[in-house]
Amino acid sequence: MILALEEVVCGYGGGDVLQGLDLVVERGSITCIVGPNGAGKSTVLRAVSGILRPRLGRIQLEDTDITHARPHEVLSLGIVQVPQSNGIFPQMTVRENVLMGGYPLRRDRELLKRRYAEVSELFPIVRERGPERAGNLSGGQRRMIEFARSLMVNPKLVLLDEPSLGLDPKSLKAVFDNVALMNEAGKTILLVEQNVRIGLGAATHAVVMESGRVRLYGTSREILDHPEIAELYLGGHVARDAAPA
Amino acid sequence: MTGVIQTIVLGVLLGGVYALAASGLTLVFGVMNIINVAHGAMLILAAYLTFAIWTHTGLDPILAALITTPAMFGLGWLIYQLLIRRIRQAPASTSVLLTFAIALMIEGIIGLIWKGVFRAVTPGYFNDSVKVGSIYLPTARLYACVTAIAILVLLWLLLTRTWAGRAIRASSQNPQGAMLMGVDVASVAALTFAIGVATTGAGGSLISVLYPFFPASHYQWISRLLGIIVLGGMGNLTGAVVGALLMGVAENICAVYISVQWVTAVPYVVIFAVLLLRPRGLLGARTREDVAPA
Ligand SMILES: Nc1ncnc2c1ncn2[C@@H]1O[C@H](COP(=O)(O)OP(=O)(O)OP(=O)(O)O)[C@@H](O)[C@H]1O
Ligand SMILES: [Mg+2]
Repeated sequence: MILALEEVVCGYGGGDVLQGLDLVVERGSITCIVGPNGAGKSTVLRAVSGILRPRLGRIQLEDTDITHARPHEVLSLGIVQVPQSNGIFPQMTVRENVLMGGYPLRRDRELLKRRYAEVSELFPIVRERGPERAGNLSGGQRRMIEFARSLMVNPKLVLLDEPSLGLDPKSLKAVFDNVALMNEAGKTILLVEQNVRIGLGAATHAVVMESGRVRLYGTSREILDHPEIAELYLGGHVARDAAPA
Repeated sequence: MTGVIQTIVLGVLLGGVYALAASGLTLVFGVMNIINVAHGAMLILAAYLTFAIWTHTGLDPILAALITTPAMFGLGWLIYQLLIRRIRQAPASTSVLLTFAIALMIEGIIGLIWKGVFRAVTPGYFNDSVKVGSIYLPTARLYACVTAIAILVLLWLLLTRTWAGRAIRASSQNPQGAMLMGVDVASVAALTFAIGVATTGAGGSLISVLYPFFPASHYQWISRLLGIIVLGGMGNLTGAVVGALLMGVAENICAVYISVQWVTAVPYVVIFAVLLLRPRGLLGARTREDVAPA
C-alpha cells in the first residue's frame, strides 16, 4: 500500500462531493478510477494533492499522514499530479513550463539540468518546441508537455487525470507507453480515465466510483469481468471488446 | 512639425515614468486579482518621503529611490500581512473597498505630517534641458524616464530570470497549476504585493521632480494609472508600458493643443473609449485566454 484514503469527506464549500470515500492504491500498481461525470474522480486527486482539504477522514502516504498537507508538501513527498485541464502556463515557453515542473529542485541546478535533459530525451516535443509559447501548442501537445513536466521531480506516485483527453491515437499510445515505462521504473500510477478500454487495459487495479463513493474495487480483470459493472458503467460492449486480450 | 515631434517626445518621457508607476498596479492585479486603489496614494507618499529626504539631506531626489523603494517594499509587505491577506478569497470588488480605505488613511497621514499644501522637489537641474537637434529634452524628465526604464528592465529580469519571478508569473497565469508545481501561492502573493508597492517607491521619487503634489494628488494618479492598465489590458505588464506611453503622449497633446485644464479628463476618456471599443485592452486579449476560470 502506498496511498490510502479513509472515510474522506470533502467538497468545495457547497455540499460534500466525496462522502466517506475509502480507497487504497497498491505500491507499484497502475490503479485506474472510472465512473460517471461528476462522480468526484478529479476531486479525489485534488484532495490527495492538497488543493482541497478534506473535512473529515484521513489520507495516508506510506507512513505519513498527508490529510492536511499543503500542495508543495505533498509534492516534496513525491506525489505529482497532471490535472484534467488547464495545467500549463500559456504565456511561458515550453522550456519554462517544463522547468517549472522542477520548481521544488530549484536550488540544485545540476540536478535540474540533468532531469531536463532526461525529460526532453523522453519527450522530443520539449526539445523541438522549447522556445515557443506553450499557449501556442495544440491541446494534445500541451498534454505531452504536462506529462514531461511531471517527471521533473522524479515522483513515486503520479496522479493522471484523464490522460487520454484530446490525444490522437499516436500521442495516446506514446502517453500510455510512458505510463507503462514509468511504472516499470518503479513509479505507482493513479489515473482517472473515461476511455475504459484503454484505462482498464493498461491498469493492474481498478476503482469504480459513483456519487462520491467507491462502488467497487478489484484487479482490472475482476472489474472488467464484473457483469453488473460491465452493463451499468462501462457499457456492455466496451467491456466485452476489452476482455479478450 | 518640430512642435508636434517636441510634444510627442515630451509625452514619451512622461510615459516612461507612468509605465513604472503602472507596472506595480497591473502586476498586483494580474497575480492576485486585487485592484489596489491605494497605489496612487502610495506613490504620493513616496513623493513626500523623497521631499523629506531631499529637504533634510539634500540627497538627489532620483537617487532617493534607493531609499524609498525598499521602504515601500516593507510597507507593502506589512499592509499585505495586516490587511490584504484577510481578503484573499474575496472578489476583486472587496479589494477596491479595502484599498480605498487604505488610500484615505494614507492621504490623512500625509496631510497630518506635511500639511495640505503643494510641495515640489526642485533639484539643481530642475530648469535645465538638453537640446537634441531641434528638440528640447528637460533634464529632470530625461533622468526620470531613463531611471524608470532601468528599473522596469530590472523588474522584467526579476520576473523572467529568477525562480521567484517564474513563481509570480506562473501564479498569475494559472494559480492552481502553480500550486501543483509546488509554488506556495500565498507567499508568492505577499511577495508580489510587496514588489508592486515597491515600484511606488521609485515611482514616487521620480514623479516628485515632474509635478508638484499635495495629499489629494493621488486621485489624479490612480485614475491615470487605472486608465493605463485598462488601456494596456489588465494584468499585462507589456500592455501597461504601451498604455503608459500612449497616455503620456495623449496627455501632452491635450495640454499643448487643447488645454492644460483638460489633461485630468484624458484618463477618463481613455477608459471610456477602451471599455466601449476593446474591453480587454490593447494586449489584454492575449493575456488570459487559456487560464482556468478561478
Ligand atoms: N471548483 C469547483 N467548485 C465547486 N464544485 C465543483 C468544483 N469542481 C467540481 N465540483 C463539483 O464536484 C462534483 C465532482 O466533480 P469532479 O470534477 O470531481 O467530477 P469527475 O468525476 O472528475 O467528473 P468528470 O468525469 O466530468 O471529470 C461535481 O458535482 C462538480 O459540480
Ligand atoms: Mg474529472
